[in-house]
Amino acid sequence: MKVFTRSLRFGVIVFLGLFLTAPSYQASAAQELPKDIKWLTNHEDPVFASKKAKKGGVFHASVMSFPMTFRVVGPDSNGSFRSAILSNHLSLIGIHPNTENVIPEIATHWAFDKDKKTMYFKLNKNVRWSDGKPVTSDDFFYALEFMRSKEIVAPWYNDYYTKEIDRVIIYDSHTLAVVATKAQPDLHLRVAITPAPRHFYGKLGKDFVKKYNWKIVPNTGPYQISDFKKGKYVKFKRKKDWWAKDLHYFKNRFNVDKVSYSVVRDHNILWEYFKKGKEDVFAINFPKYWHVKTKTPVVENGYVHKIWFFNDTQQSATGMWLNQDREIFKDWNVRYAFAHAMNIGKVIEKVLRNDYYRLEHGFMGYGRYSNNNLKARRFDLAKVEEYMKASGWKRGADGIWEKEGKRFSVEVTYSFEEHTPRLVVLKEEAKKAGVELRLQKLDSSATFKKILEKKHDIAWMGWSTSLRPQYWEHFHSVNAHKTQTNNITNTDDSEMDRLIDAFRNSLEEEERIKLSLQIQEKIHESGAFVPTFMVPYVRQAYWRWWRLPETPGTKMSGNLFSPFGSATGGLFWYDKDLHGETKDAMKKKKKLKPVTTIDETYKMKN
Amino acid sequence: MKLNPLTIKKILRFRSIRRGYYSLIIFMVMIVVSFFAELLINNRALIVYYQGNYYLPTYGEMIPGKNFGMDYEYEANYRELQKKFELEKNDNWLLLPIVPYGKFETDLKEGEYPPFPPSFERSHYLGTDNAGRDIVARLVYGFRIAIIFSLILLLVNYTIGVSVGIVMGYWGGKFDLFFQRIIEIWSNVPFLYVIIIISSIMVPNFTMLIFIMAIFGWMGMTWTMRTVTYKEKEREYVLAAKALGASNMRILFRHILPNTIAVIITYAPFAVSGGIVALTSLDYLGFGLPPPIPSWGELLQQGWANMDAWWISGSVVIAMLVTLIVVTFIGEAVREAVDPKMHTTYE
Repeated sequence: MKVFTRSLRFGVIVFLGLFLTAPSYQASAAQELPKDIKWLTNHEDPVFASKKAKKGGVFHASVMSFPMTFRVVGPDSNGSFRSAILSNHLSLIGIHPNTENVIPEIATHWAFDKDKKTMYFKLNKNVRWSDGKPVTSDDFFYALEFMRSKEIVAPWYNDYYTKEIDRVIIYDSHTLAVVATKAQPDLHLRVAITPAPRHFYGKLGKDFVKKYNWKIVPNTGPYQISDFKKGKYVKFKRKKDWWAKDLHYFKNRFNVDKVSYSVVRDHNILWEYFKKGKEDVFAINFPKYWHVKTKTPVVENGYVHKIWFFNDTQQSATGMWLNQDREIFKDWNVRYAFAHAMNIGKVIEKVLRNDYYRLEHGFMGYGRYSNNNLKARRFDLAKVEEYMKASGWKRGADGIWEKEGKRFSVEVTYSFEEHTPRLVVLKEEAKKAGVELRLQKLDSSATFKKILEKKHDIAWMGWSTSLRPQYWEHFHSVNAHKTQTNNITNTDDSEMDRLIDAFRNSLEEEERIKLSLQIQEKIHESGAFVPTFMVPYVRQAYWRWWRLPETPGTKMSGNLFSPFGSATGGLFWYDKDLHGETKDAMKKKKKLKPVTTIDETYKMKN
Repeated sequence: MKLNPLTIKKILRFRSIRRGYYSLIIFMVMIVVSFFAELLINNRALIVYYQGNYYLPTYGEMIPGKNFGMDYEYEANYRELQKKFELEKNDNWLLLPIVPYGKFETDLKEGEYPPFPPSFERSHYLGTDNAGRDIVARLVYGFRIAIIFSLILLLVNYTIGVSVGIVMGYWGGKFDLFFQRIIEIWSNVPFLYVIIIISSIMVPNFTMLIFIMAIFGWMGMTWTMRTVTYKEKEREYVLAAKALGASNMRILFRHILPNTIAVIITYAPFAVSGGIVALTSLDYLGFGLPPPIPSWGELLQQGWANMDAWWISGSVVIAMLVTLIVVTFIGEAVREAVDPKMHTTYE
């Protein structure tokens, strides 16, 4: 649910990028490239790396547990370490993290077919696998074959590369087309597959899973695994003559020579390691770390700097989801009254140290797809009163609204112990508004099960995000009143259905944006979702010899010190002089100026 | 009531064991105080005098703020009301309990974040927990729940355990054998896991928790009762009762049971402390009563998570310690008082 939002989002992009492979063989040689296509490229968007960046240094990072395998498909491959491997593998094209325009990666040029399901690519002739072999069209053809192969024991990928990607057409060794199975908007996100090295895998056999567990597969990105010791560490080394190092969007990036991931199994120990300088960066998103734990000598003496960077990415739809199949929530007035009875502002101010921000609606941070005119309903006793009275409710003896023997007493199902203080405050405030909240804390899987079975009154949860808003699963009546669907509000509205269908069927961006705004307005109108909080930023502590660009990150940055990743990774660099200076100061117990940077370049305006 | 001279002797003996006797008094006071906690620890005033009328808000329905000239419909905030009365300097007055906070009430401040340390000025004598709730209130109301819980659990466990045990011992034979195996098997079910599984699917309420705990808790008493009954049933008075034609039920519950009562009450105090500990541990692990019900286990958990807030763990650990020591002392004294040998001494 909420916790993994960011990694999931990137996961989607990365994997769309990385994993589309070779379709059927029907499309081999002798195809003619259509004459009427228009080749596009993009070198005009602003770069986001710094000219000051210097190469060098070793970056120390950590993982909670050693990866179970280096394979990125098949059994046990879905661990968190996979992203480090995947981010060192480029795909045909990428997305600019600030403008969201298509930018070149392995392909220098691309073109869209009129059928809206075919995209053509011209490959960069300099692209090399890490073993020195050139990347050709055939590697993309092979990628599809690889992903569809039964031997990799990855049913999800088998299915995805069959149902979503129809085929790869080779025109010559550096020109190809990828065809999706159906016409769709944002086609470029779907067909930007990554190559697979045929010369390395060859014909796959039954022993694939075992054979490739600890094999280091050639890649196309800036780093490659150079050394590892099972259970202890994995080291990556920068490729000195990486083919993309001077390209427009890759210049001055991926600066450190080595990246070393060691296994640290405990968060508190990691914090101690960080303070000793054995770890270069530490995530301090939690209020406890940002406000309290960082009041420690290394920070106060200025050896470690803090940064609070606001990004502008898709926010998880986090909040209270009212089950409209419950008798009490069938009434619009009651839903509106409920929203006005939730004192989210007070929770943010008094419990969350103003570190969280009010989520105004479920789809913030989706760029032009977000309707920024919407404002969540604020705590307002007068409005609660007005709505409740309009529906004929009266305050009972204990101050809770009553009507025909019913009480306005509803159950909130949630799963994180840390959320209890927030809910306790909401409960007390709701009482003032005449609404009784009954708190029900279950473990996460039981919570999810209960919600998917639509047995909740109110679900306290957030959804993971994707590049574009997903309305159909959450608000279309097809998914209402039945179990195991994501329409947990049981929204069943024919006008909403019409808009959502139009949104899904439209292939025109402008039209989709217009519909998207309308749908969000409609969701707001229904009152079935009470948005709560968002965390539109990242906070990190880092040793002062690590440097960041003038604008420390991009709109999409979830981690300013991510060493890999074609979209936002590798922007930082190592400053040898500062390192020496700091070590010297530490030895002499000299104080340096403490630094806390707050960067609001991309802060969302409410 | 006319008591058996033997019983009187036992009571006197109990009273003569000072440590146990005073512990009992302290324990009774704790229970009585917690039962009337609303009068001592509450966000509702004890008595309000407003425009010539007296109000007693403690028990009964909530009184909306506007009844006292405030501008809202929800329950009056009596602490603010008191300040208002003082400012207005008219005849209105009210009396707040010693700790003017409720068990669920969050008292939050501007610019600071809970848990807050103890403060006499704000009447948080033991500080607040991580949601700004008064610790005294949480402790006392938590104690009330724990003690009621453990007394009811005791009653249920003993009713079942004693009945089954006594019947096993009396009938013996196949019935005994059969039940012994049942109990052996049943007591091998890992009780904690069962609770964890159950409470992850549904939130157990008070009755449910007692029910679950009783299902796994009744066996303890059966073994002892069975053994004691085996011994007792061979005694002459049982034979005499049989000869007089008494029914099995009558023999079991009118003759044998009173003669084994010493065993039962010796175990009882320890079962009470066991019940408190069980509930606390479950709450600590997050599988007990649902939040925001006040509970010692939850406080303990908070104390663990907020080590620097020493007042949380400090209060709850001391409260636990006192309760458990007191109960243990009582148990010890009871055990000695009913000891037929009267040799043991505790110093």
